[in-house]
Amino acid sequence: MTVFGATGITAKYGQVTVLDQVDLPTLNDNEVLGLLGPNASGKSTLMRCLSGEKSTTGHITIDGRTRADMGHDGWHHRLASMPQSPPNPSALLPTELMWSTARALDLDVSDRELADQIEGIFARLGLSEFALSPLHTLSGGKRQLVGLALALMRDPDVLLLDEPTSALDLHWRMVVLDLVRERLSDRGGVVVAALHDLDLAARYCDQIVLLHGGKIIASGGPQHVLTPANLARVYRVETRVTLDCDGRPLVQVIRPLRDGEAA
Amino acid sequence: MSVGETSLYQRFGTIQQRRVLTVAGLAIGLVAMLALDLWAGPAGLGFGDIVTGLFWPDQLDLRPRIILWDVRLPDALIALAVGAALGLAGIETQTILDNPLASPFTLGVSSAAVLGASLAIVVVPVVPLVGETAVLPVMAMVFALGSGALILMIVRWANGARETVVLFGIALVFLCNALTAGLQYLASAEAIAQIVFWTIGNLTRAGWIEVGLVSACFVCVLPFSLRHVWVMTLLRGGEAHARSMGINVGRLRMWVILRVSVLAAFAVCFVGAIGFIGLVGPHIARLLLGEDHRMLVPGSALCGALILSCASFLSKALIPGVIIPVGILTAVVGVPVFLGLLSGRRHRA
Repeated sequence: MTVFGATGITAKYGQVTVLDQVDLPTLNDNEVLGLLGPNASGKSTLMRCLSGEKSTTGHITIDGRTRADMGHDGWHHRLASMPQSPPNPSALLPTELMWSTARALDLDVSDRELADQIEGIFARLGLSEFALSPLHTLSGGKRQLVGLALALMRDPDVLLLDEPTSALDLHWRMVVLDLVRERLSDRGGVVVAALHDLDLAARYCDQIVLLHGGKIIASGGPQHVLTPANLARVYRVETRVTLDCDGRPLVQVIRPLRDGEAA
Repeated sequence: MSVGETSLYQRFGTIQQRRVLTVAGLAIGLVAMLALDLWAGPAGLGFGDIVTGLFWPDQLDLRPRIILWDVRLPDALIALAVGAALGLAGIETQTILDNPLASPFTLGVSSAAVLGASLAIVVVPVVPLVGETAVLPVMAMVFALGSGALILMIVRWANGARETVVLFGIALVFLCNALTAGLQYLASAEAIAQIVFWTIGNLTRAGWIEVGLVSACFVCVLPFSLRHVWVMTLLRGGEAHARSMGINVGRLRMWVILRVSVLAAFAVCFVGAIGFIGLVGPHIARLLLGEDHRMLVPGSALCGALILSCASFLSKALIPGVIIPVGILTAVVGVPVFLGLLSGRRHRA
């Protein structure tokens, strides 16, 4: 069982406040939270605050305990994040990246176990035949999958994904998000994912938080958050929202709104 | 491609084995190169004399013994020590700054050493108390370490942002070069000639003390580099991923730049600015060994030592009776090797 909470998150770059008193809904086991919002709304900064990479004045807890309570290693043992940018296109082999990460973090596994573990993760992400190909020979999408493999290696209870599907085509987008959901039903845990695609968010997330200018505009279930009024305010587009056969909202974008125009 | 027939463990193991063999090959090549370097020279010693002189010095005549132990060995060993130090410093700088053009010289260490040496050459003869031979390397070292300290302050101030570090390093290079030029403008023709000669880089100034100092510095730094091989390998996948794993990249950058500056300062202050090795040694190692720093760190040190040793051999062997300053030959030797490896890589890709 994992419960993840984040309240009162405030973050600044110099004097500029990027996040202002953001309270995320408490996430219970098996839940996926989607962070939506236009560019520069604070999604990536929020992700970096949640992982502990950027300092914040807020209160972030896993099962009621903060990073300070658990210590640096304890925290990163339970939480892993996947940054927005895929791994660099260097001559490094994906296996070497995984291997050196495991060893740099002092994971307590034998070489054989580690190799089997890496092989298993790569197989699930369709990376088996690229396991020993230099990263610079892989497409952006494949490298993004390697980034996901890296985040999955510690088998974290809290998985943070920053735009995990931005470089992927339709097939792999769904494979990745299916895998993330499957993993939750197999082993429990929670996922926070910053997403660009509204329909994917509606389909895979239990809760959605809509960010704009560093503040939460709406939060709750997809059908409550993805409304024409909210989307007009945040994305400045006119939309039509219908429900699919499972009761999930489907967003159809009609046109951009002009300055000063209300939906 | 047949995937799935053998496990990843086996296939990855095969790659590792091949790399270990390559490193061993480099080490054997280095021993052979050292032998050649000891043999070459105007005195006409045979291989037999060299072997006898090395292991049973008493059985050799006085003259060849002095040539071997006081001239050839220090020169040959300083080539190994400086080459290895610059190779190691180069690979660590390139990785920590994530910049293939980076080397200890990008950080201004070498230019600062040249400035210090120039100052010693121009100013010291005016001051009667101190001897020039001792002051020159000391001044070079003080300035090189000073530039390292400045860079470290910048790393701290910029919170480890690598672009800032590279830009500041390059600014430092220009500043030191301008000050050196200013000194040359004021200096006598003789002093200018000395500065130019020092800048080219030359191994023949070194004696056993210098060999000992550079080797000791290398031996002291190497364990720290080896302790960081995993995290440095991981860093080749990008800083964002290392940070997201909870690794403090800013602090790591500080430690690496500290040890690289010290290493480069020791390497250049006795032999002059042999810049090319810190750049190309790591690249040759990377082409041969890939990105795994367990192999790359020793491999890069070996490549650096091998290039400089080869240059040292050629500096004596190319024109009989003349010793060409080795700094001229490092690039002349290194570039063809480097280009050969690069084109080989292109054919495979």
